[in-house]
Amino acid sequence: MIARVIVPDLGVTGGELKLVQWQAREGDFVTSGTSLFLVESDKATHEVEAFQDGYVRRILVAEGAQVEIGSTVALLADTIDEPLDAATPDAALDTAVETPSRASRSTCAQGVEATAPAEDLLGPGAPLSDSQLPGGGLSAETLTRMYRRMVLIRRYEDHLYKLFLQGRVPGTLHQCQGQEAVAVGVCAGLRKDDVIFSTHRPVGHVLAKGASLEAITAEIWGKATGCAGGKGGQMHLMDVAAGVMPSNAIVGANIPIATGSALGFKLSGSDRVAVSFFGDGATNIGAFHEGINLAAVKEAPVVFVCENNLYAASTHISLSSKVTDIADRAAAYGIPGVVVDGMDVTAVYHSAREAIERARSGRGPTLLECKTYRYPGHSRGDPGNYRGTEELEAWRGRDPIPRLHDQLVTACEIDERRRVEKRLVDIEAQCQEDVEAAVRFAMQSPEPPPEACFGPIFAEREAPP
Amino acid sequence: MSPGEVSNDKRAMTMAEALRDAMTIALRGDPTVFLLGEDIGVSGGFGGGFTVTLGLSDEFGHDRVMDTPISENAIVGAAVGAAMVGMRPVAEMQYGDFVFLAMDQVVNQAAKTHYMTDGGLRAPLVLRLPVGASTRGAQHGQSSEAWFLHTPGLRVVCPSNPYDAKGLLLASIRDNNPVVFLEHKLLYGGKGGRKEKTSVDPVMDVPCGDYEVSLGSVAVRRSGADLTILANMLMLHRALGAAEELSLRGIEAEVIDMRCLLPLDMETVEASARKTKRVLIVEEDNLTGGWGAEVAARLGETLFHRLEKPIRRVAAPDTPLPCATALEREYVPSAERIVKAAMGLSRR
Repeated sequence: MIARVIVPDLGVTGGELKLVQWQAREGDFVTSGTSLFLVESDKATHEVEAFQDGYVRRILVAEGAQVEIGSTVALLADTIDEPLDAATPDAALDTAVETPSRASRSTCAQGVEATAPAEDLLGPGAPLSDSQLPGGGLSAETLTRMYRRMVLIRRYEDHLYKLFLQGRVPGTLHQCQGQEAVAVGVCAGLRKDDVIFSTHRPVGHVLAKGASLEAITAEIWGKATGCAGGKGGQMHLMDVAAGVMPSNAIVGANIPIATGSALGFKLSGSDRVAVSFFGDGATNIGAFHEGINLAAVKEAPVVFVCENNLYAASTHISLSSKVTDIADRAAAYGIPGVVVDGMDVTAVYHSAREAIERARSGRGPTLLECKTYRYPGHSRGDPGNYRGTEELEAWRGRDPIPRLHDQLVTACEIDERRRVEKRLVDIEAQCQEDVEAAVRFAMQSPEPPPEACFGPIFAEREAPP
Repeated sequence: MSPGEVSNDKRAMTMAEALRDAMTIALRGDPTVFLLGEDIGVSGGFGGGFTVTLGLSDEFGHDRVMDTPISENAIVGAAVGAAMVGMRPVAEMQYGDFVFLAMDQVVNQAAKTHYMTDGGLRAPLVLRLPVGASTRGAQHGQSSEAWFLHTPGLRVVCPSNPYDAKGLLLASIRDNNPVVFLEHKLLYGGKGGRKEKTSVDPVMDVPCGDYEVSLGSVAVRRSGADLTILANMLMLHRALGAAEELSLRGIEAEVIDMRCLLPLDMETVEASARKTKRVLIVEEDNLTGGWGAEVAARLGETLFHRLEKPIRRVAAPDTPLPCATALEREYVPSAERIVKAAMGLSRR
């Protein structure tokens, strides 16, 4: 049975009413009496409680929206996937809800359809169920693919760290455990022919965009089969065919470069989009200012994704910036600045999609700040002693992977849950297997021949036609 | 003239005009070519610092003749990014000295792209740098060939006349590598308020059609049997002047225009050195670590026993460039200094 949640008559004396905050999310099971949302009148903020038990089947009004007394703002259902047809009040259910630019929490994630890009990028995956899940319109299948990508990245990084501890990884490592939701959420919103520019901490980004697992692993191991034949190394991973441009180990340098690629797309009449990933540390280097300003003034189709993990190497952001939200800096360039929970892959996806579509449609760049955290130190051998255990544990408590896992499981009908859990376990096992196979491939691959050292230094000119 | 069009027509051009002509042909013929820099296309503006791009935005619009903020790092970085996705950007630094603001993008990015990606990507871009002392002082007149010569992955081109300027620029734009293209301010041939004091401003008949001068070539400008003088850009003109003076004194100098430093045509240089057995290198750059040092070292490795005298260099002293005319005149090698050094080499 579907029940409508309405804005009750709160006894206010005229004036506008605004729904300021949802206290529950789609897919949540709420009991009678729990707070559902907050409504603000000209006099006060009011809490509206659930009037019966049920699943929040659909949220119809975004935070920040004007509402009227008696209007339907959500639907409650007895089961998580109860069909909505019978209760569909009107066209409202099919109407995309306007997403406020700064309100990118998962409650406001609806409104952007899960369209081709995520399917395109994340590859085939067995459908879980037909139910609509939390994540604002993303199908179970898409969410499962996002889950697979995040798990792949986590398993990859954890496996390499174990090998590093055993002294079996040559060269350096800059790992990204904890930041997977940013990479996957952003890249799921891109087309295959869009390009990304990553950093010295590239594994999450390049795997999220679809780089070859074998080729990047062999590159880290300095082998001839590596994506750059061993000339790049851990900080310079790429897969041009997958839209993964070479990752860059000069902090901030990819910001003007991504801008240039975007300008190239624009000048050649293409609707491709470029994404620049960088950390909070990059926002204090000149290239950040020059690159974003140039992109803004030329309306380049680029999205600037700042992974604010609070630390530039060991230096806390409070020691290097008086600005708490990096996104605030967007105002200086006259472009949108959006803060999103970087530990919530669906929230990142929806914010990124908005920025990507904005860029694609010729409306210029966005600065998307993802609040996130890296669990490991800056690079190999950095235990991260400049951070407190409590802080680390608090962030681990918000880990994006179990978070999505739980969403996927709890969103199912009870009798489906076991099957879903099994499916996710299978995915984890498959990821582990893929990672280990890639490492075996890398270890067994030949070293580059010594003469490979000498080139190619110059690209040949094509023969004249 | 349109790209690919070969024509017997010629027109008298300054270097600024010849460079503009090259860019016009490239822009007409290849939609991936675009220009970016400061003040290069502003309507009612002056076509870059030295009028080279004057009028181009009228024909090609402000997207392809792209004015940028004063952001050298972003100019070169954007050129790198555009080049990586198939464009052929031609970036201008208003003064060559400003490239130091963009050195990360030149050295760490543009130059290393092809190698670091094991040939997976290339960065075909041209970086135009107006260089040379012109009474503007130390931050608007440095010669900077040596900085780029030392960076694997870059090509370094430095023409001395309008014909070469046009043909080399077309070849540079069509090359698949980053090319640092140095242009001497006293050779441009600006007019009116843009005319440089003490400029040489060579004007010559230049083909109106499409042609290229191949990268990696040097050119013998004057034949002689008694000594070899190697020089580029403004110094080439001073060397030629010195050669005339030397001729009056019975010394015939062979003068080679080092119009490309990387790749470097050592064959031509060595052939001349074998013949004359005496080598004088003239450069406007500081003495230490200049291109002349590299060339001298290579000649020493191959021809040490064939040379009759040690290789001599005439260069700027190892100081920043002073501004005052009287000091700049002392700083930049003159024809007189070249003659004196050549006489010293030629004494038997």
